[in-house]
Amino acid sequence: MNLPAPPLVRLEEISKSFGRVRANSDITLDIRAGKIKALLGENGAGKSTLMSILAGRLQPDAGKILVEGEATRFPSAREAIQAGIGMVYQHFMLVDAMTVTENVFLGQEGGFWLRPRKMARRVSELARRYGLDIDPFARVSELSMGEKQRVEILKLLLRQSRVLIFDEPTAVLTLTETEQLFEAMKQMAGQGKAIVFISHKLPEVMSVADDIAILRNGAVVDTLEAGAVTSRADLARRMVGREVVLQVDKGTSEIGPHVLTVRGLETGALQGIDLEVRQGEILGVVGVAGNGQKPLVQTICGLTPPGRGEVEILNRPWKDFFARYPSDDTLSYIPEERISLATCPGLNLVDNFLLTTRSDFSRGPWLMGKRARGRARELIRDFNVQPSNVDALARHLSGGNLQKMVLGREFFRNPKLIVAEQPTQGLDIAATEEVWRHLLEARKRAGILLVTGDLAEALALSDRIAVMFGGRIMDVFPASDTRKVDRIGLMMAGITA
Amino acid sequence: MGKIRVMKRQEPLGWRSCLVVLGAAGVSLVLSGILLGLQDRPPLTAMVILFQGAFGSAWAIEDCLIKAVPIYLCSLGVAVAFRLQIWNIGAEGQFALGAVGATAAALYFPDLSWFLLLPGMALAAFLAGGFWGLIPALLKIHMRANEIIVTLMMNYIAILFLDYLVYGVWKDPASFGFPMTPTFSESAIVGRIGDTNLNWGLALCAVCGLLVWVFFRYTLLGYELKASGENVRAARYARLPYERLVILVMVLSGALAGWAGFIEASATLNRLQPSIMVGYGYTAIVVAWLARLNPLYIGLASFLLAGLRVGVENLQLELQVPAAFGQIMEGLILLTVLAGGFFTEYRLRLRPRP
Repeated sequence: MNLPAPPLVRLEEISKSFGRVRANSDITLDIRAGKIKALLGENGAGKSTLMSILAGRLQPDAGKILVEGEATRFPSAREAIQAGIGMVYQHFMLVDAMTVTENVFLGQEGGFWLRPRKMARRVSELARRYGLDIDPFARVSELSMGEKQRVEILKLLLRQSRVLIFDEPTAVLTLTETEQLFEAMKQMAGQGKAIVFISHKLPEVMSVADDIAILRNGAVVDTLEAGAVTSRADLARRMVGREVVLQVDKGTSEIGPHVLTVRGLETGALQGIDLEVRQGEILGVVGVAGNGQKPLVQTICGLTPPGRGEVEILNRPWKDFFARYPSDDTLSYIPEERISLATCPGLNLVDNFLLTTRSDFSRGPWLMGKRARGRARELIRDFNVQPSNVDALARHLSGGNLQKMVLGREFFRNPKLIVAEQPTQGLDIAATEEVWRHLLEARKRAGILLVTGDLAEALALSDRIAVMFGGRIMDVFPASDTRKVDRIGLMMAGITA
Repeated sequence: MGKIRVMKRQEPLGWRSCLVVLGAAGVSLVLSGILLGLQDRPPLTAMVILFQGAFGSAWAIEDCLIKAVPIYLCSLGVAVAFRLQIWNIGAEGQFALGAVGATAAALYFPDLSWFLLLPGMALAAFLAGGFWGLIPALLKIHMRANEIIVTLMMNYIAILFLDYLVYGVWKDPASFGFPMTPTFSESAIVGRIGDTNLNWGLALCAVCGLLVWVFFRYTLLGYELKASGENVRAARYARLPYERLVILVMVLSGALAGWAGFIEASATLNRLQPSIMVGYGYTAIVVAWLARLNPLYIGLASFLLAGLRVGVENLQLELQVPAAFGQIMEGLILLTVLAGGFFTEYRLRLRPRP
């Protein structure tokens, strides 16, 4: 490929690990002035890590950042901003009680005396130039989310940023605001700024990006020009991937009675869901993140009540089931947030083991600590958790080991319905394989609802597959139906025909 | 040119964390010395006088122990709530209500024999203090009211209520207009241990401390409290009864502070009067932090901070240091210990510039 001009910023072979998890491995990426670059990838693909490195918030383990061809280091965000690289975060960093102008100039007042009129004029000019409609005298607390975002952008523009990074900027915006933002992004690019747009929403990426880089499991798997994208389905397939990393022997298991029945479930984000899971099968729910998987899981697992429709768990209505939630022969939830939801990071493994199994280890008011300790020790051995010391604090375990601990704990309760949410996200291959084996083993006794963004995982484990889009189930079919499996990408993009 | 870097500790500090507490206490003593120096008092002599006054004689140590009793009970209660990360700043008010409850029992049933009256007073103090803790718990659960603010404000209400009683309906007609209740009857006074000045409140402390320790270590509820305090989201995930736990800890917390009020009114003052409020409920917060919520260490820290109070009295006499100096020192200790908490999580490293 012949390059017309050197890129404004070049990331060269950037790698970054957190413990044993490789968030970025050997990523090379060019960011050009006047172009909008989309970073597309599932949650946990490494997009935000990469951009935090560029914005100076994280330090890479290896690799170089070249600004206009020159190797640069950003020990903190300040140096990155000085080099003209700024980030618009998902959570705004504004002072609510101050006006738009005051916020924009905060830290850039330039001298002891303030000149409010001149400052306001400066903000208006900037806003007009880039199509960011805003009242410079409005108080930030009175602004909508979209307007607050504009203030953040103006802050960066005032600091002469040449690269503007947007981290999932549309998550908080209304449809109109999103369109306005895209218009502003195009204007900024038109006036020579480089824009990086982090997203996992396919239509948005297609409508605004000039170049697209697709990240999966911490690596760039594809870079292409927006013009080369043939369809949303094509993009979806590239993003989720199809290659099977691991081959597992699924075997067969006997199909038993229904353990989960969902009929016409409607909440804010769900638009009529029908599902059933039977003992002895794994139902894989796939889809691009944010299409209703999270609300579905939270409703089934009793964290949010169902709006309209019926949810029946182990042949009992939702309300009845969670009113007298049994500890054994029950529903087990293996959440995506291992550290903040499934465990107490500051407690040791015995205490974490007791979190959901405590009623098995109590007699009257007393807790049978010794017995729990013994069982926890066995479980840690059986599930190959490292370090194999029950006194270790949960926060000192790697993601994979923590996940095995959670699996061991939940399987100990002999669940009849298991809801596993992104069970191998961020795990290395060895840990992934172990988790898969445990899930397949558990399938003999339970029905499993596997919610995953990793199509390879869904195909490797599931007996049946359900595709979610826009709060609906597009289709449910056996994993052996190759014709339909080939159409998963289309369905994930909302195309039925 | 070197540069100091802040690094997060990978390993827990373990026993060395007590060095951090000792270091913090040392820093606060140095700062107090500087303050004394600024007032033209000899800092070293003052410290000697302070320590001699607190621990220099059998009489002083007895006085420390007597003052440590209410501090210990309040602090134990505060620590129970803190375990769940419920910030009960209201021990002072719960203490006041406990004293009022016990006094009510003592005034209305003066003729009962002691083995009925004392348990009755304890029960009344428990209920009154617990009730004062229950209100912020209910407000927190049902109206999402911040417990720090509610408990703090309720302290003022409680103290004014106590004042209202002793200036009004309960005032002793024979007190020459002083705001105080009549002296309790003999059977309403918690007795002394042997020939010492110490009262049986000390035994109550030991029993309560042991029970709290057993509660957290060996019971299901204690475990549930510990886990919920560690991670509220995990508590919801694991279906721990968080709301019920909030009510439980606030009632227990209030009740323990209430017992402190009962002991103080009955054993120390033998009546209720406004001077019963000397800030034990606030000292209790310092103690709970110093002792990292451990019942045994709370005992130790209560004794030390009681010693500070006794020592400062001595300092007042010898060097004419203002009475508020004790509170200043207490505040300094809390600040340095809290600031020292930084070093249990992080360490500093000197690094040459690249």
